[in-house]
Amino acid sequence: MVKIWRIAVTEFVNATRSKAFLLGILALPVLIGLSIALQYFGQKNKDVRDRRFAVVDRTSALFPVIASKAAERNETSIMRGDDDGRREQTAPKFIPELFDEGPAGSAATELVLADRVRRKEITGYFLIATNALSPEAAGEGALAWSTEAHSYSELPDWLEQTVNEEIRRLRFADAGVDQALVHKLMGNVPVKRLGLSNVDAATGDVVKAKTTNRFATFALPGGCLFLLYLMVMGSAPALLNTVLEEKMQKISEVLLSSATPFQLMMGKVLGATLVSLTLSGLYLGTVAALMWRMGVLDLVPPSLVLWFVFFQLVSLLMFGSIFAAIGASCSEIRDAQNLMFPVMLLVMLPFFVFMPIMQSPNSPFATGMSLFPPATPMLMMLRIAIPPGPPWWEIALGVGLTTLFTLACVWAGAKIFRIGILAQGQAPTLGKLVRWVLSK
Amino acid sequence: MILPSDANGRSLAVKLSGVTKRFGQHTAVDDLSLAVPAGSVYGFIGPNGSGKTTTLRMILHIFHPDRGEIEVLGERSTRAANDRIGYLPEERGLYKKMTVRRVLAYYASLKGMKSRDSQAAIVHWLAKLGLEKWADQKIEALSKGMAQKIQFVSAVIARPELLILDEPFSGLDPVNLEVLRAAILEQRQSGRTVIFSTHDMAMAEQMCDFVFMIYKGRKVLDGTLAAIQSSYGEDTVRLRVDGGVEALRGIEGVQSVRDLGQSQEVRCTGDPQDLLKRLAARTRLHLFEVARPSLHDIFIRIAAPASEEVQHG
Repeated sequence: MVKIWRIAVTEFVNATRSKAFLLGILALPVLIGLSIALQYFGQKNKDVRDRRFAVVDRTSALFPVIASKAAERNETSIMRGDDDGRREQTAPKFIPELFDEGPAGSAATELVLADRVRRKEITGYFLIATNALSPEAAGEGALAWSTEAHSYSELPDWLEQTVNEEIRRLRFADAGVDQALVHKLMGNVPVKRLGLSNVDAATGDVVKAKTTNRFATFALPGGCLFLLYLMVMGSAPALLNTVLEEKMQKISEVLLSSATPFQLMMGKVLGATLVSLTLSGLYLGTVAALMWRMGVLDLVPPSLVLWFVFFQLVSLLMFGSIFAAIGASCSEIRDAQNLMFPVMLLVMLPFFVFMPIMQSPNSPFATGMSLFPPATPMLMMLRIAIPPGPPWWEIALGVGLTTLFTLACVWAGAKIFRIGILAQGQAPTLGKLVRWVLSK
Repeated sequence: MILPSDANGRSLAVKLSGVTKRFGQHTAVDDLSLAVPAGSVYGFIGPNGSGKTTTLRMILHIFHPDRGEIEVLGERSTRAANDRIGYLPEERGLYKKMTVRRVLAYYASLKGMKSRDSQAAIVHWLAKLGLEKWADQKIEALSKGMAQKIQFVSAVIARPELLILDEPFSGLDPVNLEVLRAAILEQRQSGRTVIFSTHDMAMAEQMCDFVFMIYKGRKVLDGTLAAIQSSYGEDTVRLRVDGGVEALRGIEGVQSVRDLGQSQEVRCTGDPQDLLKRLAARTRLHLFEVARPSLHDIFIRIAAPASEEVQHG
């Protein structure tokens, strides 16, 4: 045990003294910050050049509304005032022009306008068919937008909304129905989401159910899953590289003259676990401090932190042993990559299925998946974080199964590590690894 | 721990009895028995792939034999003695990103050495090998020779009773080679047992109390240099003649000639005096010395590609 600890401490010190660790600490906040900054920069530097477009209005009723709504938008909704009274334009102005078809007809109109689009005189053209006002016109292509810039959707979206509002208004008027009244009658009644009422044990009073907190229901479980995933992905696969590198540099042979292969493997896995726990401690501490400042720290039950640490430990022991064994069995990184692919799928499995589990955390699917040992740490963590959590027996069964599976991984990993770490030459096959596990 | 002893009452640091190691269908070491007296320098020689490194790894219990028994420093078939063994592997293994001081402290700690003791030993050894300036440099900043000396220090720092050195001199320049040789002999003088493998026959002749040769997994030589040489008799003649190797062509009694450039080494059959007469009749002699075969010559006789027979010493 002393040697395992010495190896683990050296691994931990080596890792935490490296630039990679510092980058690892900063990676998450830097990525989040960078994404916010880029979005802000993108907004500030949005292309606000005027968007000219032609309107072919064969109803002769809709262009005036398009023109007036565009003028209103250009003067108000896309303008933002600052404290000094200056006005800043936040989106392009829409400049419509009515295209007079004359006697040329539809085909010629479209060719002329298409040429103008190609010459960049206009962004596109909007065709309104004669039957657009008819309630039977829906779905028949009565409104059409033609352009070269298909990814630019702001203008066609605005046209669709503006023209449809006007068409509806005209249809209601034509039918002699008060649109405002219809709107009022059609209004939704929102559902308030509540927890359960309780009886106060001390006073015997009924405590009314509280409104469900969206943070506690979705953000917290999702955050736990994401952080756990990040911690496993950041530490376990790196073990493969470390072990393989030391094998190739013959450092392992020196270490094996002093420690058993099991001590060496466990020391490395434990070292990586310590690094990972340090990282998650830093992240969790920062998040807790922020939540405390925002006054929402009481939404996180302390037991959740303990479950997080437990599942992180289990995950790292489980996947760390597997990745260390793969690293020990290979002599080239290319061979290791082939073998690590199925293991990576196991690590990522919770990410493929977490959405349906979040929506229905106690469904048979959620129960089954969270009892599948390689996925248990992340998925049971997710289910525990979603109030009210799974039944206690499911948690106990999950913990039992995943602990047994982890011990099996450590045992099998140690057997592969023992033989593989000094083996040279041909890349091991899956069958060969199984034979190594079953060998005496 | 009480060490085992041989028939002459000598304490043995290492004792191998009927040890066999196979890798798949290949037998790397075949029924090997060996007794390494405590306090001696024991040289392992043999061609590449003959089983030297496998034997050394079995002594360290990195590999386990398929058959036979290994006793090291009185510990039978366990790793219990490993903390009392220093090991320098054939290919050097040092953490490139760690400083010299940290690497040595780490390796010493794995041998159970206390931090305070290891720090003092690091200072002592670095000063001894002229590397004190490099203590806080990363390994990657060292030259090959310096790194090799650091690897040697990592093997001796915990004051092992048994030192196992696999090709300690490979790739060293003459200056560093002398430094390392002196350091190894100093270990012997302080009572430690040294086992080292080498391809340098001259070095083995100079340094070893005993020489062991393994060929195709089997022991072919084992004993003192004098005993090994005497078992081959005085069938070697060193000579320098006018006309060089051409003058020796076709002379009766010459079994083989090794041309050394300025002189020749002849393995003769029959009486060397007869050879002397025949040579004197053909050419002018400047040197004629009857000698025992060198270790190099013995090695070649056993392991030359043409030689398929296995000779037991």
